[in-house]
Parts: sequence; structure tokens; C-alpha cells
Amino acid sequence: MKVLNFDAKPCERVREQLDAYLSSELMVETTATVLKHLEGCPDCSRELESRQRLRDALRRAVDQELPPEHLGETIHRRLQQTRPRFTWPFRGSSPSRSWMLALAGLAAVVLVGVTFQHGVALRRGRQLVASVLTLGVSDHLNCAIRGHHYPDVARPASELRAQLGPEYAPLLPVVEQKLPGFEVLEAHICTVPGSPRKYVHFIARGRGTILSVILTRREGEALPSDVRLVAETTGGVSLYENHLGGMDVAGFETNDYFGFVVSDLGQDSVVQLAAVLAPSLRTQLDGG
Amino acid sequence: MPHLAALYKTAKFLAHEPSDAEDLVQEVYLEAWKSFHRFEPGTNCRAWLFRILFHRLHHLRRRQLKSSKVESFSSPAEPDTLAATPPVPQDIRDEDILQALAKVPRDFREVVLMADVQEFSYKEVAETLSIPMGTVMSRLSRGRKLLRQELAEAARSYGIRAGNEGESA
Repeated sequence: MKVLNFDAKPCERVREQLDAYLSSELMVETTATVLKHLEGCPDCSRELESRQRLRDALRRAVDQELPPEHLGETIHRRLQQTRPRFTWPFRGSSPSRSWMLALAGLAAVVLVGVTFQHGVALRRGRQLVASVLTLGVSDHLNCAIRGHHYPDVARPASELRAQLGPEYAPLLPVVEQKLPGFEVLEAHICTVPGSPRKYVHFIARGRGTILSVILTRREGEALPSDVRLVAETTGGVSLYENHLGGMDVAGFETNDYFGFVVSDLGQDSVVQLAAVLAPSLRTQLDGG
Repeated sequence: MPHLAALYKTAKFLAHEPSDAEDLVQEVYLEAWKSFHRFEPGTNCRAWLFRILFHRLHHLRRRQLKSSKVESFSSPAEPDTLAATPPVPQDIRDEDILQALAKVPRDFREVVLMADVQEFSYKEVAETLSIPMGTVMSRLSRGRKLLRQELAEAARSYGIRAGNEGESA
């Protein structure tokens, strides 16, 4: 006979969250609660595996439905007969060449789909990475993009240092030096509605877009150490990447903080910028 | 051709007639090609193509509704009569799950396909289908439950042991 060491309600609450957990839609705090419960609850772990099995089976079955071989060619032919409603910048190029260039343009902005990988540990690691990176994306979207909490002309450095306070003001020159080609417009401490978590937020402009460098204290959470989840390691700092909420995000951790670089520059660019920033920010934060 | 397979698979499971899927996907690329100037670099190209697909699907359904090819434009709201979540069968055959999916009403089927098969975020699904996030979440919850119910019924008819049955008694 099986002895259950929990009452029904925690399981009920966790099961309500399992699908959102599998879709990486939970905030990091909720993910941590779910993971903690799963560790001690075989019934809910089985339920999670059932739901994952159903998704795997659904994806596998739908994937069997391949488009007819002639479809790509038919579309290509029809496109050659149709003029686009914009002026193509390459004069004298044939419709076929134009289409190939348009495709290349499309492909350049295409976000790489998530490659589904099997294995519970890897899957849980990915969920955890996504939920941590969501912290940075949420603040960027809430404060910089939707809130537009930055001026059109950069605030004076003295004002930014005052807004950051003595604890974080020394980070300002680090961010400025390590983001060549970007201008730091704003730096402040902010929060996202519904959460008491504080974010140290630098908002910069460059390469025709807005970029955020965000730091927030770790509250017992940690990024997984599985090397398969690490996008790049630089100066002893592991970088993690994802595309969430329409934004590209790269994240890393120090002894006490999570750090994020968030923008719509493309994943490679965001990771490259984070690779330059992360070691210096870690030195400053851990040594301070 | 970028995203051709993903668009085709989605269209095939949502169009009234599976043969409409080919035409729909062709229209998506033609529309994208014609209105490429409206695409904002830096935004999600895949989501943009899916938005065009759902726009075309919507248009097609209207036409078919007028000619009475489809029974109703939208799935009727049904009370949630599924008190318990049915167990997932251990062995799921592709044809069983596809048949089960086909029985899930379209409004629920489309969010399940977008979120669980195409792996769009809830926010992207809401934007693509032009429905609120809360509606996405409630339809997903109901759609997944209905899928499990259909699968469990199919499994029972074959006498297949369900995943959780006999394990946690």
C-alpha cells in the first residue's frame, strides 16, 4: 500500500500548472515551486510524464503530414508571376533572383524553432533556463518597450549614477565601455507589476534598436550547469540564450545576481554582446 | 521555402477539407510576398506567416459558411463537463491521435496545434489568433482535456491499458 506524504491540494495546484510548465510559461518562482513538488511527488511526476508523452505523440503524428513535393515548386512559380508591392533595392534582378533574395531576407529574421530534445533532465533544464531568462525579458518589455521609461536624449551620467545609488553606480562605466556603438540613455532600479523583485536596468540605444542590460538578485534560484544548455562560455562565465516574448535574450549568473542582455537584434548578436559584458559585470558584482 | 511544412501541417488540420491546405499555403506565401513591405525586421517572421494563414483560414470559412459547406462559423461554447482528466494511454498510435485531434472542436484544436505542436508562446498564439491571453489559456486547457478524453475512449475501445491506470491505486 502506498503512503502519500502530502494532502491533495498541493498536487491539485501543481497539476493546474503542469501544462504551462511544459510550455515554459511559468515565472521562475512558480517553476521552482513546481520542481520542488515534483521531486517529492511520484504521482505528479507521472502526470507530468503523461502530458509530455501526449505532446510528443501529437507532435510526432502531425509531423508525418508532409506537404506534397510539388507544393514548393508551385509556390515558387506563382511568386515569379506576381510583383511585390514594394520597390526591390536590387535593380535589374530577375523575379527569380528577387524571390531568392526575399527568401534570404526572410530567413535572416526567421527565428530558429525550438529543437525538441528528449530526456527529462534536459527538458527540465530547458524549462528552468527559459523561466530564469523570462525575468529579464519581462522587465525589458514592461519597462523599456511598453513603458518607454527612457528619454530620447541620454541623461547625464551624474543623474544616472544618482538613480542607481552607490551600490550599482560603479556598474555604469562598465556597461558604457563594454557596449561600443550603444548610448546608455537611462539607468535605474525598477520592478515589474505583480512582483516585489527589483531590477537594475540599463537602457541603451544603438544599431537602430533599444537594448536592455538587466541585473536582478538571485533568490535561491540557479541556472542549470548542464553543458548542453549553455550557448557559450566566456571568461569562465556560462551564457544561456533564448527567444522569448518576441525578444532575444542572453543570460548569465554571478554569485548573487542574474544578468541579462535583451533586444531584438538576433540571438547571435545578443549573445556576442553578453559575452563581452558578462565577465566584467561579474568581476564588478562579485568583487564589490 | 521557410516554414512551408509547418504551415501546411497546421492548415491541413484546420481546413474544412484537407485538400484546401495546399491552396491556403500558396495564398499565404503570395500574400507575404505582396506585403513584404509590412513585415517589421526584428519581429518574428514565422509568427507573421501564421497570422496570414489564420487570416486566410478565417476568410475561407466565411466563404464556405455562405455556401453552407460548414455548419457554423465558430464552435459553440460547451460547458466543461470533464470533471476528471482522463489518463493518457501508454501506447499512442499516430492514427489514433490524429483521429482524436480531428474530433476536438476547431477553436480548441487551433490553440493546441499552435502551442503544443508549433511551440508558439501563449502570447504569440493570442496575437496570431487575435484573441485574449485568457481565452488562449482556457481553450488550451479544454482542448488538451478533450484530446485526452478522445484518446482514452479510443484506447478503451481497443482495450489498451491507460498510462496511470493500475499504477497509483
